[in-house]
Amino acid sequence: MTEDVDVAAIEKKVRRAAKILFYKRHRQPGVKGWELQKAVGRDYMRVVELLSQRLAGLDLQVRRIYETEENTQERSEEENERARFYITLKEPLSASDVVLSGWRIDDVAALVVTVALIISREGKAPRREVESILREKFPGWKTEFNLNRFIRTGYLVEDENDVLYLDWRSRAEIDEELLVKLILGEETKMLEENLQSTTR
Amino acid sequence: MSRARGETERDRLFRIIGLCIAVESRGLNPFEVEVQQILGTLREYLPEWKALEDLMLDAQTLNQIATVVSLQGEWLKRRSTSLFVDPLLVELKLRMLSSPRLVAVFAQVWRPIVEMEGLSRRRVHEAVDYWNNLASLEERRLKLPNATNSLGIVTEEELIKRKLLSEKTFAEVLDSLWFELKERTSEGRIRYWSFIYAETYEETVKRAYLVSFLITYGYATIQINPLEEEVYLVPNKDLLEPSSRRQAISIPIAVDRETWRKMRDEKP
Repeated sequence: MTEDVDVAAIEKKVRRAAKILFYKRHRQPGVKGWELQKAVGRDYMRVVELLSQRLAGLDLQVRRIYETEENTQERSEEENERARFYITLKEPLSASDVVLSGWRIDDVAALVVTVALIISREGKAPRREVESILREKFPGWKTEFNLNRFIRTGYLVEDENDVLYLDWRSRAEIDEELLVKLILGEETKMLEENLQSTTR
Repeated sequence: MSRARGETERDRLFRIIGLCIAVESRGLNPFEVEVQQILGTLREYLPEWKALEDLMLDAQTLNQIATVVSLQGEWLKRRSTSLFVDPLLVELKLRMLSSPRLVAVFAQVWRPIVEMEGLSRRRVHEAVDYWNNLASLEERRLKLPNATNSLGIVTEEELIKRKLLSEKTFAEVLDSLWFELKERTSEGRIRYWSFIYAETYEETVKRAYLVSFLITYGYATIQINPLEEEVYLVPNKDLLEPSSRRQAISIPIAVDRETWRKMRDEKP
């Protein structure tokens, strides 16, 4: 009987966490760990884990983005509370799905070039250098428009010295390490397959 | 880092600070700064400093060096991670990849955030209550104060304070710009961009706007060298009478942010 009550309580918490994570509460999507803790209790990390397992069947996952980028498995309670939690897709899309999702091919290309350049330059790149590379293939107005749009949507952030950095959306949505590997051709086969599926 | 002839100790410290700032802001290799050598220089200069501002300059240099050392630490840490790649190699690869191929790359690495927008039952109730209690526009208009009652006199000072009126009249602004143009054209003419350039882009656009009036009203003339693709401004000694001006033609000159940025970067 007690076990049933526990399961029911956990189920209730998972549903509550799902609502909080799916529905946009702030201007920026996702919620902070402390917000989840406040809503579902101290065992929120376990609840999030359970929710992520349930979502896996729908090709979704709960993703955590920490304030610091250190690649460690063990995170302190405080770090978890300050991390931001999002629901994202679990598996990659096909290239045709990306285009169908409303992105124009040239806009996606501009984003990939910009993000990869910033990653390769240790996390920051002067805007005019990024612009000069993009302008080799896209008109000036388009380059300006796209960079401003990437800033507005949270992929990039620009400081007062016109230097570009990756912003919260890039860190939440883009696998930076894989991006660099693909650009350098280490995963060529995977790419070829995806490319063929697009042109088919 | 040998000292240039005629360079004072203070100049050298300013140059070091400039280098450190450039490394920090432009993401250059922090190991380009020879920290050991600079610290030696600071040690050498320190006994000579007597004035407070020299000591402050010394402290500022040391502070910038500390920042560079911190950047060196981060740089090493970054290089030791799997994310380190040669930026030139990445740039080269990016230039070679076509747009469809870049989309294929993006598809592999992109996990878009899933988010929904919705209304709760409580919010719908609140909205219904709001609608029911909201008076019609007609009623709300009646409650507004009568516009004629609120009319009053605003003094010129008040308008200037509120930035609705400039302290100088437009003619005075043009006059002062004309004098500035005359002063800066000892060789008879000045490059258009050199004259309109200001520290901010907004101010540059404002100067370009005013210069267009200088030309239209006969305070200055414009010279275009098609071979050099250069535009020059030549001030007129006296204001030209409308009758003595040649037939007016319009010349569009783009005052774009890119050119302004280039000029700003070239400024010492």
